[in-house]
Amino acid sequence: MATPTTRCAAAAVLAAAALLSGCAGLEEDDVAQVAGAFEDPATAPADRCALLAPTTRDALESDGSAPCVQAIEQVPLPGGAVEAVEVWGGEAQVRLGGDTVFLTETPAGWRVTAAVCQPRGELPYDCEVEGA
Amino acid sequence: MSAPRYGFLRANALSLVFGALFLVTLAGQAIAGTADFNARQVAEGLPTVSLLDYVTSSSFGVDVMENWQSEYLQFFLYVFATVWLVQRGSSESKEPGKEGTESDREQQVGPHSDDESPAWARTGGWRTAVFSRSLGLLMGALFLLTWAASSVAGWAAYNAEQLGQRQDPVSWVGYLGEADFWNRSFQNWQSEMLAVGSMAIFAVYLRQRGSPESKPVGAAHADTGQTG
Repeated sequence: MATPTTRCAAAAVLAAAALLSGCAGLEEDDVAQVAGAFEDPATAPADRCALLAPTTRDALESDGSAPCVQAIEQVPLPGGAVEAVEVWGGEAQVRLGGDTVFLTETPAGWRVTAAVCQPRGELPYDCEVEGA
Repeated sequence: MSAPRYGFLRANALSLVFGALFLVTLAGQAIAGTADFNARQVAEGLPTVSLLDYVTSSSFGVDVMENWQSEYLQFFLYVFATVWLVQRGSSESKEPGKEGTESDREQQVGPHSDDESPAWARTGGWRTAVFSRSLGLLMGALFLLTWAASSVAGWAAYNAEQLGQRQDPVSWVGYLGEADFWNRSFQNWQSEMLAVGSMAIFAVYLRQRGSPESKPVGAAHADTGQTG
């Protein structure tokens, strides 16, 4: 028979599980929203640059020898609907209809670390946009 | 000679001191681990994390659990192995010839128990059978629980690392087949086996005056099972 103590313990475990799954769900929504906005053709270049992680933005400007808002316009973003989201610790991956995007969590929120990525089997994805 | 009358602290000093040392060293691991994690984050141009963020992360979880599981495996194996295996001359072993679970008289169970014996040692049946193996069973259960926790925390840390390196995450079953999981397990297990094996043989030839982990200083090397 469940005692008040065991009922309290069970309630605490259920509450913790609900909180964790709720948090995970919220994180997945945030991640999907950032990846979707980054690849949305209607998003302005400046807004798209604001969604890049600092090291990725620096690498893009360095590789393109141009400010981010100009360099990002030269990158063909395949986009598409969000098909799957994986969030592990402070890292995330979003599979869109035409692309795979990697993100990291920063104090400002989730930011894109790599985009326009093609799988290479056991090797890391080959990404057109990525940090150093 | 009757036992001296001790207060709670002195009567439980061994458990309390090691409990306190455990908490202090766990805190040390948390602080050093946060610093190490943040140094790597800075090197990769990524944001640093707070102590609270770190101690609730899978990185800290797997580092703690992989050590706990190996400690409980060590004690589980040692408790059961020393029932059947002896090391002549070691204070860690019982006398050669006493291998096995021994008689009810020697173990003071059932009709051979006394008024101060634990209730489950007196009753017989399944209660006495379970109580007779409770130390090893608890160690075994704690090993399985902490190893399972180690696999889950290791899976989460591995997947975070995979994503950071632009690689696909794996399922939990997939992680159990990864070299990362077995490398973490074996590197902890080997150190525990070394510690137990070396202690068993060192205790034959070396002494620590006053310690129950050692034979009396003057005991012969061939004497087995004595503590002093």
